[in-house]
Amino acid sequence: MRLGKIVAVHSYKGGTGKTLLSLNLAATFAKHGKKVCLFDLDFRAPSLATILKLEKAEHWLNDYLNGTCEIDKVLVDLSDRVHDSGKLFVGFANPATEAIRGMSAKDRKWEMRALGRLLALRNALLNDRSFDYLIFDTSPGLQYSSINAIVSADLVIVATTFDRSDVDGTKRMIRELYDLFEKKTEIVLNKVLDISSRSGKEELQAKMKDVYQVPLLGVIPCFCDVLRAEGNVIFAEEKPDHLFVKILEEMANEIDHL
Amino acid sequence: MSRQEVLGKKPLMVLEKIKENLERLNEKMEVMIELQKHGKKDMQPPLADAPLDVMTLLSMPDHLRKTAMTVCRLGRATADETAQQTHRARAVESAYLNQLVLMGHMKKERKGRKAYFFVDRESQG
Repeated sequence: MRLGKIVAVHSYKGGTGKTLLSLNLAATFAKHGKKVCLFDLDFRAPSLATILKLEKAEHWLNDYLNGTCEIDKVLVDLSDRVHDSGKLFVGFANPATEAIRGMSAKDRKWEMRALGRLLALRNALLNDRSFDYLIFDTSPGLQYSSINAIVSADLVIVATTFDRSDVDGTKRMIRELYDLFEKKTEIVLNKVLDISSRSGKEELQAKMKDVYQVPLLGVIPCFCDVLRAEGNVIFAEEKPDHLFVKILEEMANEIDHL
Repeated sequence: MSRQEVLGKKPLMVLEKIKENLERLNEKMEVMIELQKHGKKDMQPPLADAPLDVMTLLSMPDHLRKTAMTVCRLGRATADETAQQTHRARAVESAYLNQLVLMGHMKKERKGRKAYFFVDRESQG
């Protein structure tokens, strides 16, 4: 029996494209016929509820981690948004200011129990409900919730850019976080300018491998139309012929074979 | 039950008890050996309940983190099961697990002759 995978999408700095990547990767997997669940673990700046235009929710991921409801109550079935045989569920973080404040004030013991509940998702969703992928969209940097997500994951995808402080911070995180937890890590280089030629791409891949010492999962050029969409478009669903979607499909295939 | 069967059972029970006690002694000796090996540098004074959160995991020495992470993943495990995952010797894992219990990060529960280790997330806090 083939077991599913938990993938955490993380970064050192904010604004590297984690949410865009997580959402479109989840949609790509669903379009490939997989059963996927996307989780918004960015409790300090939740965004999936806005991007996916969630109208109302009775239970949030916050409630599951608080131990006040089970995961089934939290998951919202958005499979109708991907017109293929796959399934797409989403666990939303509560975007209300009060909820954000509440999550920021949790202590170590609460975070320890939250880790236990994240670890329990493997049994509840991958084993018992046959999900193929759980994708965790995390907060940037060394936040408790992000490290909990990383510890629970099988694979960490690090979204990074050419920004100098981002490169340095990402290198440190690979050495001092992912390596310590013995996590399989892959880099996605986002917002890259001028990589039209094949030789340019290969050169870049070799350079990145040298800098980070971990495999490069993909290189995403800086697409003006992706920025212009202002988070209103799920490219994997609405623009299947876009180069961004082709790159995502390559990434999804590679993750499948990891 | 015949008199012979009753007489035969008692020495068996005594032997079982001796074996169990020897196993417990063995575990304690393994902990002592490991503590000596690491010059007690990793050892904190015994704590009642020290939360095993991710920051604590990050600050642990590598050998203990590997054991703790394995138990976190398995939920509940014997030294044997932990050793199968970490590819280290059972005796070594037993020592690390007992060290984590002494540090207050894990709980230990005996079921028959097997000792199970787990992180008691609900009672901590």
